[in-house]
Amino acid sequence: MSRFVVRTEKLSKVYHEGGAPLPVLIDVDVAIEFGEIVALRGPSGSGKSTLLNILGCLDRPTRGRYWLGGRDVSSLDRTAQAWVRLHYIGFVFQTFHLIAHSTALENVALPLHYAGVPREPAHAQARALLERVGLGERLDHRPNQLSGGQRQRVAVARALACKPRLILADEPTGALDTRTGQEILGLLLELHAEEKLTLVLVTHDPAVAAVAHRQIEIRDGRVVRESRSDAPAA
Amino acid sequence: MRRQRSELFGMAFETLRRNPGRSALTLLGLAIGVGAFIAMVSFGEGARRAVMDQFQALGTHLIRVRGNTRGNQERRPLSDADIVAIERDSSSVSNVIPVARMAFEASHGGEQWWTVVNGTDPEFADLHNWQLSLGGLFNERDLAQRAKVCVLGQTLVRELFGDPELDVLGETVTLGGLLTCRVIGVLGPKGTSTSGNDVDDIILVPVTTFATYFGLPTGYAALEIEPKAPEWVESAKLEAAAVLRRSHGLGPEDADDFQIDSPTEVIKAVDSTATILARLLQGIAAVSLFVGGVGIMNIQLVSVTERTAEIGIRAAIGASPRQILAQFLVEGALLSLLGATFGIILGVGVSVTVAGYMGWERITSVSDVVGSAAFGIAVGLVFGFLPARRAAMLDPIDALRRQ
Repeated sequence: MSRFVVRTEKLSKVYHEGGAPLPVLIDVDVAIEFGEIVALRGPSGSGKSTLLNILGCLDRPTRGRYWLGGRDVSSLDRTAQAWVRLHYIGFVFQTFHLIAHSTALENVALPLHYAGVPREPAHAQARALLERVGLGERLDHRPNQLSGGQRQRVAVARALACKPRLILADEPTGALDTRTGQEILGLLLELHAEEKLTLVLVTHDPAVAAVAHRQIEIRDGRVVRESRSDAPAA
Repeated sequence: MRRQRSELFGMAFETLRRNPGRSALTLLGLAIGVGAFIAMVSFGEGARRAVMDQFQALGTHLIRVRGNTRGNQERRPLSDADIVAIERDSSSVSNVIPVARMAFEASHGGEQWWTVVNGTDPEFADLHNWQLSLGGLFNERDLAQRAKVCVLGQTLVRELFGDPELDVLGETVTLGGLLTCRVIGVLGPKGTSTSGNDVDDIILVPVTTFATYFGLPTGYAALEIEPKAPEWVESAKLEAAAVLRRSHGLGPEDADDFQIDSPTEVIKAVDSTATILARLLQGIAAVSLFVGGVGIMNIQLVSVTERTAEIGIRAAIGASPRQILAQFLVEGALLSLLGATFGIILGVGVSVTVAGYMGWERITSVSDVVGSAAFGIAVGLVFGFLPARRAAMLDPIDALRRQ
């Protein structure tokens, strides 16, 4: 088995807007090892969101190849992509993306439902996860009854539900104040240590980038710089 | 898998419960469709039966045998022996009555009126579904005693007594100067027959009285045969004909010396007309069911559009296209199921009410109800598929962006 969770080879994505090809990613080679924390940085429009979507199997590359956990996932169909997202990847979004009319418990249990886990064990697991992220008292609250930080904790718990190997976090602190952002970051680092997760963070926040083992900077669809941090946190 | 399915239904029910107003409106279309369909099937069948009943009230379900009057071949008159033979040997016949018939001048006081005198049995009124408006028909005792009694049709009362409303019971009427009889009953009005004759221009006397005072030189004018059930008209006719041939001693080469007619052709025509009308009503109801299905489709399409972000989230965390399709299909199915249930209540309620109001015996049959409901659910499923497919085909990236 490969030591890389994520490995890409000459990954390219080209959009066709009005006939003219618009390259968004050009020959991106990225390799991320198990247990690494990697920050993806770059100005908006640089292509880092597209890269994150491809790494998360929400999108497919136009050219090039992508191995996830040693398996080529460059050209999976929608159903297979969904399976990979469910079992291998956990997403944490900037704006949380919780289901508004469902309780915290139901939100966390949802991936388990899609994985075919029956209701009672799914709810027991979801309860344990919410307790782990410090929301044991808020199980039956709906997102609009929770603060931003609490919502992001629910989202983190949901991302962990099916025991993924890879967590993809898109600006996880972007919608939170500094202190709450620090708390969420602290939670992610704790979970990284406990669960031996691999973390890929897209961020503008230098404080977030600072905790990464490695920073990958993208500009105009190309990797322009990779730098290893001397003193990674945790 | 069963567990998963019941959870799907639970989730769908939750979704519908969150928006009760909209769900109710969506249901309403299909409920009205199914209800209308059930009601129309019932109305059609009820009306058809009512038409048939009215038609049979004219006596048209009776088989008539008339003596052969053609040619110079030897004629055997229709006799009591024939009646006995048919009643004994024809299993699909319930009743046979003789009708002796002759035209006479009836007179009362100074008034005279040419009419047809019928000598017959007490069952005549029953066989013809003919109510009496005054008094009663002669009975078996009158028959045995050759009683000088008669029953008048409405036309006779009007022409001989001047006033159809008059109580003429106990009055006497003289027929052809041969028989003076006491009026014991008046037949209710029946109006004009399909061939334009005045059906009410009639006098009934016991057939024995007729034979005694007028004679039966050529036997009975006709035998009237009632089948055990209206559907058995044809077999009763065939049986009666066979019995008559035997009773008249006809060989295999001989032609019938009687004429036998059944109203089957006419009944078939009336029945098919009524059936066409019933189908027409059902067709209209099917359109309303179809519209109900379109209603489900529209609301579900709106629902998919509104819940795009939610669908994106579900897809992003790993729901497969099939799982999303299933979620919306089950919602559509649940809406159809509930709609069909309310439709059954509505349709049966309306059918029973209208049937009661119209005096139809008919209530909606279970197979009609089940069929209509199944049709409604099928329509809902078919129309629920398009929105569900749209949801399943959403690109999660696009869907997530639309917050």
